[in-house]
Amino acid sequence: MGRTLMPNHRCPDEEKFIKLIRLMLDDQTTDEENKYILNHIDGCYRCYDNYDLEGAIRDALKSNGSKLEVSNELVEKIKGKIESE
Amino acid sequence: MGEINNKYNAKEKKEIFDAEFLAHVNSLYNFAFKLTLNEDDAKDLLQDTCMKAFRFINSFERGTNAKAWLFRIMKNSFINDYRKKSKSPGMVDYQEVETYYNSEQGDQQREITLDLRAETVKDMLGDEITNALNAIDVDFRTVVILCDLEGFKYDEMAKILDIPIGTVRSRLHRARNLLKEKLAEYAAKMGYK
Repeated sequence: MGRTLMPNHRCPDEEKFIKLIRLMLDDQTTDEENKYILNHIDGCYRCYDNYDLEGAIRDALKSNGSKLEVSNELVEKIKGKIESE
Repeated sequence: MGEINNKYNAKEKKEIFDAEFLAHVNSLYNFAFKLTLNEDDAKDLLQDTCMKAFRFINSFERGTNAKAWLFRIMKNSFINDYRKKSKSPGMVDYQEVETYYNSEQGDQQREITLDLRAETVKDMLGDEITNALNAIDVDFRTVVILCDLEGFKYDEMAKILDIPIGTVRSRLHRARNLLKEKLAEYAAKMGYK
């Protein structure tokens, strides 16, 4: 793979690439920008770790969020209020 | 104005409500709970939102993005009616957060998050993830919920929150930094490596 920075080295553009990685994961980048970002990640351990971390946080949020369901009783109560409007 | 008031008849209103609004009731309830952090308040906020949605149904264009429209109503209801009694942590001034992040102390704080690993996050329990999210200020928590949990795009979030897309972008970036800090804190407290 040939990452140019060793694992413990800081990337001088780390903050810039954290922002770009987040935009990419949010589908806010063009194909050209994606190529640029992925090309950098491919050669930088630090930014690869950040990319991995951002993905892990998103996955964790998705799998732990939105678990509540509205009871049928509450739905009927809402419908009842609407009927009397 | 007369046209808007009579856009849909009673039957059409009910059809729209049942077919297009109720489909999002679980998402709305989860959003309400994450805003209020209280089950009773969440139920009240959900009911208020549904009532307002029905009352203002004539300003909704059938077949358009009902979910975004409803989330906007809920957000506004929360700000107007529930925020004062919300049990969430006290609101943080955005300017304060921005200033902090630009300071040396902010840089030192960010150093901690650099040690947070993907493997650690994958090992964390669901409650710990939820607690970290709930611990950040509600305005920052909201953008993370809308983007990462509900899948809204930036332009949709801009309409829901009534802010420019640039502000959506910067607020999300700061929110994610805050969330990472919280996750790193929890990880350190719980002894995750």
